[in-house]
Amino acid sequence: MEKTLVINPAKTMNNEEKRRRAALRRRCFSLVAALLALAGAAMFFLPFVTFHLGRTDYTFTSLQVVTGYINVNGTPVSLPVIAKIAAAVCPLAFLAGGVLILLKKPRSSAGCFMLGAIAPLAVMMTGNSISSTFLDLGVSRVEMSYHTALAVMLVAGLAAAVLSMSTKGVDKLAESVFLVFACMSVGAVAIITIYMIAAGTPAIAEIGLGEFLFGTEWAPTSGSYGILYMILTSVLGTLGAILIGVPIGLFTAIFLAELAPRRLAGIVRPAVELLAGIPSVIYGFFGMIIIVPAIRTVFPNTFGYSMLAMILILAIMVLPTIVNVSETALRAVPASYKEASLALGNTHIGTIFKVMIPAAKSGILAGVILGVGRAIGETMAVIMVCGNVVQFPQLLQSVRPLTAGVVLEMSYSYGLHRQALFSIGLVLFVFIMIVNISFTLISRRGVKIDGRE
Amino acid sequence: MVASKTEPAAPVQSGYPSLHRSRRRVKDRVLAGLIYLCAAITVCVLIGLIAYILIQGVPYISWDFLSTAYSARDEALQGILPMIINTLYIVIITLLIVTPVGLSAAIYLTQYAKQGKLVKAIRFTTEVLSGVPSIIFGLFGYTVFCVMLGMGVSILAGCLTMTICILPTIIRTTEESLLAVPDSYKEGALALGAGKLRVVLGIVLPCAMPGVLTALILGMGRIVGESAALIFTSGMSYDMPREFFGHIMQSGRTLTLHLYQTASQATDPNAFHIAYATASVLLILVFLLNRLASLLSRVFDKSAKARA
Repeated sequence: MEKTLVINPAKTMNNEEKRRRAALRRRCFSLVAALLALAGAAMFFLPFVTFHLGRTDYTFTSLQVVTGYINVNGTPVSLPVIAKIAAAVCPLAFLAGGVLILLKKPRSSAGCFMLGAIAPLAVMMTGNSISSTFLDLGVSRVEMSYHTALAVMLVAGLAAAVLSMSTKGVDKLAESVFLVFACMSVGAVAIITIYMIAAGTPAIAEIGLGEFLFGTEWAPTSGSYGILYMILTSVLGTLGAILIGVPIGLFTAIFLAELAPRRLAGIVRPAVELLAGIPSVIYGFFGMIIIVPAIRTVFPNTFGYSMLAMILILAIMVLPTIVNVSETALRAVPASYKEASLALGNTHIGTIFKVMIPAAKSGILAGVILGVGRAIGETMAVIMVCGNVVQFPQLLQSVRPLTAGVVLEMSYSYGLHRQALFSIGLVLFVFIMIVNISFTLISRRGVKIDGRE
Repeated sequence: MVASKTEPAAPVQSGYPSLHRSRRRVKDRVLAGLIYLCAAITVCVLIGLIAYILIQGVPYISWDFLSTAYSARDEALQGILPMIINTLYIVIITLLIVTPVGLSAAIYLTQYAKQGKLVKAIRFTTEVLSGVPSIIFGLFGYTVFCVMLGMGVSILAGCLTMTICILPTIIRTTEESLLAVPDSYKEGALALGAGKLRVVLGIVLPCAMPGVLTALILGMGRIVGESAALIFTSGMSYDMPREFFGHIMQSGRTLTLHLYQTASQATDPNAFHIAYATASVLLILVFLLNRLASLLSRVFDKSAKARA
């Protein structure tokens, strides 16, 4: 806004006036932000959280969160270190922000205010481990309620951040708001990674990594937690789905990219799109009512809910991914390759298989890897057809992959059993991360090759 | 595409015998046949799936089915109204949260960001996030939103989980539509003295609106079809909502979870009818959203071409 006015030389007097007003507004904003910072910092001394333990209540201020402890049956229990750090950082961040805004450093002060607003949330997030500590000590009822101080800190922090950025003008404010939102996906990935590791490692540490990954017996009631068969099922099921899905998907992609008459492509392409959009539960249901009975008819002495059903369903589900990525890769092959091959007397089909597919190799591979990620993480469709028995994977027997184990036992598990389920989640997460990162590397390489040639 | 189709036909029809005619032609025919066969399989699987479920399910869809409550014990109450309401709640609240976040992120990435480490990190993590399976989101949402932030198993927790789930889709699709706005528009506005924010909100965003809407509809499709991320976070309760806002903090199962539950626990044929009918409702919903999205993107393409 200011910039547009500065450019206009016709109204100099008016400009002077406006500029003075803007300066006044800036000063007001920083003053209000500083006051908010003071208010936020003052919350340090007001009641922050109340622990309801058994019949007694303990009300803590943030100060007490940092210094205090609770006496439970004679043993003093202090709060987790992360909560203490977060509670201590909060007022410091507010004060630092307040000082910085008065020193006319809006950018860093806004950062401090954001930190001050987020810190109480970090205290809140440790609530789970606090309550499990007390439960372990034999306290019958653990509940926590938070006081208005939390809301005040949150609102004051965000408002002060916005105010301090708006001293630099609306444009800068908008840019920083956009930036904060853009960073959310970074934050989400970071938090997901941290939580999957934090939730998954305790059980692995207790069971033992070798025992957990390579143990063959999964019997939570008798204390055996081996997930080898689940891992094998997931891996072999994915492999099978890829073996069936890739040829069909790749050939469909060739059809769409090279052979299809316009009208046929107009039918097939929306069909593939729709296939990608159908909910996985419907695939599972379809498997239950069509594929499972079909297997039972073909192999009369089997149950039907089997590895084979799982592979077939997964093969259908990875089709759209493979078709889309491969078609894009085939279309990206430079026309000169194709023309050169045709000019040498090769046939169209020969050109496709000898020239275009090798040239689009890395793109197709990226599609396959993406399909692997889909198949290994697929849950609901698989649960409905795989039979859910933990045993060595055989084609016509009931099996259970990693994902199914988590969903089926989550609702009634507790203690180590539940932690073990989170460990399964962690194993799955590691698999997916490997798949994802190799996808990124390979697709980047594909782009590089395309860019060079 | 048309050119690539006619070129290869020429040597075949020309009448000159190819050097490896007898061998190559047979192989070519077989391969071409396989290609057509595979395309046919893809289409047939889709048509078979849709047709079978619709034929079995549509006869059971009635006004009663759509407008009554459900109870696992009461034979008279077999409708899906609560599930429809829950699905609507989750779709609307998730879109309300994800739209500002995704749009702002896309605006930052396309209009403000300079190439650097931060942008690379954002792009990489967005890509990673889009590959994470929904069961992981479910576990994460359960620990963070339901347990740690104390929301319990509720629709709100489900919405927040779904927000993270569809954020990458929204960011990427919105980004594409923002990038498609010609630079000359922005330059024109800047030359007239408009500030950057005004250019972004007044010129770029309105021009990219059909693309943004397409992104939202795609996101809607994902939410309607999602199940694994919601099973722990928004839960399985099928009670009729009692209060308009209070329902946000209560558990509620969506259509997909209802289908899962009725299909996997069905022992009597009646429950199977419910599963078929629910699957049909879901399929019709997904189909309509899919058509709407492609219609919108066609409109967008047309206006982009008209501009160019």
